[in-house]
Amino acid sequence: MKAAPFAYVRPGRLDDVLGELAGGDGKVLAGGQSLVPVLAMRLGRPGTLVDITAVPELTAAGPEQDGYRIGAAVRQRAVEHDRSARAVPLIGMAMPFVGHRELRSRGTVCGSLAHADPAAELPAVACCAQATVELAGPAGRRRMPAEEFVTGAMTTAAGPEDVVVAVTFPHARPGEGFGFAEIARRHGDFALAGVVTRVRVGDDGAVTEARLTGFGISDRAVTRDVTPLLTEHEDDLRPATAALADEVVDTGGDTHGSTGYRRRLFGVLAARELSRALHRARDRKERS
Amino acid sequence: MTTVEPRRTGTAEPRDRVAADETVGIRMTVNGTETTVTVPPRAHLGDVLREQLGLTGTHLGCEHGVCGMCTVLVDGEAARACLLFAVQCEGAEIVTVEGLGTPEDQHPLQQAFSAHHALQCGFCTPGMLMSSYDLLSNTPEVESEELPEQMSGVLCRCTGYRGILAAVDDVRQSHPDGVPGPRACGARTLVGRGTGGGSGAGAPAEEVPAAALAQEVRLPSGPPSAVVDVTSALRQPVERVWAVLDDFDLLARCLPGARLTEVLDGDRYRGRAVVALGPVKLSFDGLAQVVERDPAAHRLRFHAQGADAGGSATQADVVLAAEAGPDGGTVLTAHADVHLTGRVAQFGRALAGDVSRRLFEQFATSVDEAAETGSVTEPGRGAQLRLVLGTVRDTVGALVRRGLTRVRTLRRR
Ligand SMILES: Cc1cc2nc3c(=O)[nH]c(=O)nc-3n(C[C@H](O)[C@H](O)[C@H](O)COP(=O)(O)OP(=O)(O)OC[C@H]3O[C@@H](n4cnc5c(N)ncnc54)[C@H](O)[C@@H]3O)c2cc1C
Ligand code: FES
Ligand code: FES
Repeated sequence: MKAAPFAYVRPGRLDDVLGELAGGDGKVLAGGQSLVPVLAMRLGRPGTLVDITAVPELTAAGPEQDGYRIGAAVRQRAVEHDRSARAVPLIGMAMPFVGHRELRSRGTVCGSLAHADPAAELPAVACCAQATVELAGPAGRRRMPAEEFVTGAMTTAAGPEDVVVAVTFPHARPGEGFGFAEIARRHGDFALAGVVTRVRVGDDGAVTEARLTGFGISDRAVTRDVTPLLTEHEDDLRPATAALADEVVDTGGDTHGSTGYRRRLFGVLAARELSRALHRARDRKERS
Repeated sequence: MTTVEPRRTGTAEPRDRVAADETVGIRMTVNGTETTVTVPPRAHLGDVLREQLGLTGTHLGCEHGVCGMCTVLVDGEAARACLLFAVQCEGAEIVTVEGLGTPEDQHPLQQAFSAHHALQCGFCTPGMLMSSYDLLSNTPEVESEELPEQMSGVLCRCTGYRGILAAVDDVRQSHPDGVPGPRACGARTLVGRGTGGGSGAGAPAEEVPAAALAQEVRLPSGPPSAVVDVTSALRQPVERVWAVLDDFDLLARCLPGARLTEVLDGDRYRGRAVVALGPVKLSFDGLAQVVERDPAAHRLRFHAQGADAGGSATQADVVLAAEAGPDGGTVLTAHADVHLTGRVAQFGRALAGDVSRRLFEQFATSVDEAAETGSVTEPGRGAQLRLVLGTVRDTVGALVRRGLTRVRTLRRR
């Protein structure tokens, strides 16, 4: 369980990070909580690890014009403890499920997105909340919706010479409510199935927008606009979410749960978290 | 809403490149003593603490982040010492279990562990102590009911959990404003057991022997790691599809990332396949042997095996069959018993089915193309076999054209 030899560099400027990655034999090292196990098992042998934690522009997190922006070197636990992150309730709801405390103290939010594990919480939250990912690469800077960024299991739109610079989660708007739940074998494990929900209601309390993202159930987080589902079946969501589960849960299954079991989990969680998000949205509307 | 200053989290100092075979001096404070260790980039903090500084209280179990044995405090927060390279720790303040207390002056947590019989073999105890110290010093307001969850990041192998939780709860109650600081941190001489050069320092870069070239494919006995059944509807007629299956060179080129390197006698073929997925990169050298070729039934069966230089191996018993389908097309079915051994199996055993399934799905598309044009578009770098190998976990994800695909993943322990 020892990593094969690699070169190590910790540039102080983003341009130098990009310079080190040019050529494609380097790997970004952020928190290392996913990368180091890969190295230890020698499933990956990058030539150089490019540590991004000394780049000042990557180490800040805080509220900005279009939402809560998290730089690539900001650790999950720092976000967890940042009061201004509460403007994005989903972050606080999901964070306790991202591995364990001891991992969140080093792991980064952007690293989790870049790693794109199909069962990870943060990419799913980013998709449901319609977060924006900022990238820098040989072709310059670009921004894209989280949903476009994650392209498959452990595969993203970022090329080997690109760096994720930051992710911005939109602040919760009036009339919005959220839901998050996952089932794992043990606290801190990756989810067997999980859902993230976001519901918005109008002044009359009627649903105007509903989104649902499932994770651990396919090769990536799967997001659906479920506005019609919620408006038409508000009183009895289970049959509708069961049908949705048939559609979106397509993992092959493993010893911890068959496809059928995961569909059932997903259907139940989806109904419950949609209904919770709806009630929270209405509560917030009434109080505002 | 741009009123709040963005919160900054500890920017590290830049460092110039350290070559893979070089060592570098890293200054850090360990249990209150400033020290400099000389390490190669790949030395993790756990090894450096134990072997260079003689602090063997930090235990190592899994060395990939799962067990929590190696938990220490880095700048006041618990972290896995096995997931942190010492080169990342320049200027860091580290506290290990040795810094928590001494036999004569135990920390309240240590006293409580003793009072509640919170250990049997004691292997997990340092990790448990450091994790609970982190919890009670950073979040003293934690509730009793939350303790099982909060203490789940460290595993105990000999059922010490009840005692452990009772001990932590005891200290939580007796110190509602947070636990006292470590008692054994202060200037002292840290003596290493090693030669001072550090583990692996100056060691020659490991030469990985080329995977031994097998002459014949041997399938392991015992149940396969995964069984894959894939059915794909192709547009081309069955005879043309069979022409592709019957031409092993063309067939091999239909596998993304694969390449035939040598044709041997007895319907045997040598080749290489590259799997790239996120940080995981494997290169398999392998051998395939056709064991059955039935032109009338359009059926081909072969055994294949591949080995990666890193010690991962895969074997498969594959049956491909083409049948005339609707609209003049072909129904191509693939059945494979896949055996995985070595690191790849340990890493993503449960994903074997999804990996293989995607492989066959991409393969079927290429066969269709080859049946139509007689050749396969050279896959670009990005089109290398990008398949699921997963992380250290057991969950899987996969996109399937439902109804066409069925995968069973078996698991051997
Ligand atoms: C035992 C264990 C349990 C875990 N459980 C969970 C869990 O339940 N849920 C969960 O979501 N995660 C879990 N994780 C994973 C984890 O903790 C990390 O949150 C995360 O996946 C990686 O973040 P990181 O900053 O450590 O990234 P790293 O490990 O440093 O990097 C991961 C990958 O992303 C790339 N990368 C990182 N940052 C960037 C960037 N800015 N630009 C471009 N590429 C980048 C790296 O090159 C690498 O390929 C677990 C990990 C362990 C060891
Ligand atoms: S040895 Fe570090 S977590 Fe197991
Ligand atoms: S006391 Fe033996 S592992 Fe916990």
